[in-house]
Amino acid sequence: MLEGTSGDHPVQPQPRQGHLEQMTQGRVQIPCSMAGEEDFVLEEKRFKQHCEEFVKHSQQIGDGWEWRTSKDLGDGYLSKTHFQVRNRHIAQDLREKTNDNIEETLLAHVEESLDDSQVAGVCTTEEVIRYEYHVLYSSSYQVPVLYFRACFLDGRPLTLEEIWGSVHACYQDRLQEGPWDTITQQEHPILGQPFFVLHPCRTNEFISTVLTGPWKHNRHKNYIILWLSTVGPVVGLSVPLSYAKVAPEQNSSTDSAESSSASSLPGLTFQYFAYLPYFAMRICAEREVLGHC
Amino acid sequence: MTDDKDVLRDVWFGRIPTCFTLYQDEITEREAEPYYLLLPRISYLTLVTDKVKKHFQKVMRQEEVSEIWFEYEGTPLKWHYPIGLLFDLHASNTALPWSITVHFKNFPEKDLLHCHSKDVIEAHFMACIKEADALKHKSQVINEMQKKDHKQLWMGLQNDKFEQFWAINRKLMEYPPEDNGFRYIPFRIYQATTERPFIQKLFRPIASGGQLHTLGDLLKDVCPSAVAPEGDLRFFMHCTHVAMCSHRIYHLDKGQVKRDKKEGEIKSQRGVMWLVPGHTENIQPEVPTEGKDNSSCCSVLSYHLWLQRMPICKRDTFANTFFGFANTFFGWIKVVS
Repeated sequence: MLEGTSGDHPVQPQPRQGHLEQMTQGRVQIPCSMAGEEDFVLEEKRFKQHCEEFVKHSQQIGDGWEWRTSKDLGDGYLSKTHFQVRNRHIAQDLREKTNDNIEETLLAHVEESLDDSQVAGVCTTEEVIRYEYHVLYSSSYQVPVLYFRACFLDGRPLTLEEIWGSVHACYQDRLQEGPWDTITQQEHPILGQPFFVLHPCRTNEFISTVLTGPWKHNRHKNYIILWLSTVGPVVGLSVPLSYAKVAPEQNSSTDSAESSSASSLPGLTFQYFAYLPYFAMRICAEREVLGHC
Repeated sequence: MTDDKDVLRDVWFGRIPTCFTLYQDEITEREAEPYYLLLPRISYLTLVTDKVKKHFQKVMRQEEVSEIWFEYEGTPLKWHYPIGLLFDLHASNTALPWSITVHFKNFPEKDLLHCHSKDVIEAHFMACIKEADALKHKSQVINEMQKKDHKQLWMGLQNDKFEQFWAINRKLMEYPPEDNGFRYIPFRIYQATTERPFIQKLFRPIASGGQLHTLGDLLKDVCPSAVAPEGDLRFFMHCTHVAMCSHRIYHLDKGQVKRDKKEGEIKSQRGVMWLVPGHTENIQPEVPTEGKDNSSCCSVLSYHLWLQRMPICKRDTFANTFFGFANTFFGWIKVVS
């Protein structure tokens, strides 16, 4: 049994932001009593290192990520393109078609738990959407930021509303509370073209709690994996479980390291995020990973 | 900061005279007259062109009208850039009024962000403010504000209310007396010729040795190609947030420094800055006098060089004005040669 997921600790979504605001007397800041005193800062150099590690593993499992360097200033970003089939009937039901066996297994679990009406095979119009994901570094917030764009095969780009509609059910509440704080269209800082962006303002809050204080030993974990496995699912991007094996300062992982890494990663975040608005998000991400959703 | 309210006001109320013409291929029921408007430098195209839209929609059929977008000499104009920046980037060398073409069809998806409502503009504006405060104060000041304060910033901009805006903005421009400045200076360097829209990097106002950084230090650090070791360099300091651009405008005319005295007229909001190598280190702050020739432009243009020499974070008119809006939008610099 993974820690934190035992039966006597019921999984409840965190009270809505309104309630939290009440508790914090109308201030925007969310108190994180569980957070370590120090702020974990991801410097650009470490961002690049972790991206490198990430790409290495992606190449091993054929997950499609690559690193792109800009010609002028030498900075760069992670990039991945994949295709998804969307059922017109139910906008939130994204069935991924990739070559990744792990993902197919997981998704089979996901579909099992869906409502009968949804699974009843009433997928009338299927549309293929091309998603392009980029991970850039924000020097202002000192965190990675997820940019993405999506278009149909005929080239027509998805609108912001369609993107909001395609956000997974688990995250819709959070999205509805502040859509403009969550996903908006912005100019890509390197390419200068319109992309959708998942806002980075809160990233440091929830990442800090996982990487500081009593969980300092997590610092050797790959920041990108930790972060992307949490935020990616919000916008239809999943990070296969095999990434949990990646540890930057280990060249080869032993069996015990593997199992402890894999089990402690989701379990830990479960406990920590109990006090954050992203709680619901992370639980869903976890459940998807574990096949319980 | 508040002791230089004049400068802040001049920056806020800077305007660009513009002529809007409907794109010739748009289908109209009768001829569309051009529409003239004074655009606020610090605002956004889609925020201030409701009248333009209404004017042209009057001569068009409903079905021919979808999202409005603007273009200058073939280049789609990014509404999410401040108007002053767009002008400086694309049209600063041309005569006024600025001629913008209006489109209602074939929205350029690959170039422009959509702007279906004022909410989009507000979200963008607030995101800029938040990012700037992340740099200046680790987001502490912006996060401690109430939602109504955030709203007041936006309403101040939307309704062109200087006092309303600055009542809140001044908090974002303060720092504790024990610090010598912000944590990092929010700035962006825009270049019209590159794919990359702007250069933005972390830059501290104070060096490790305790000296105050100057604008020149910033440019050398961030944009070294613009600061050549030999020869003159020409910068257009297009930051509306720089006092000199709006209030005291100088230009070089046949080697003579002239000050734009057209107080009553619309100015093109152009600032000229000459960086003379070898003279940039020892400039004393002094106001330049007109009439001196180019060869001794170090004294003549010491006003400008002073800006370059002067500590960025110093509580002073120009530095504060330059970065005064850095919390709102970033100051911008156009590199010319």
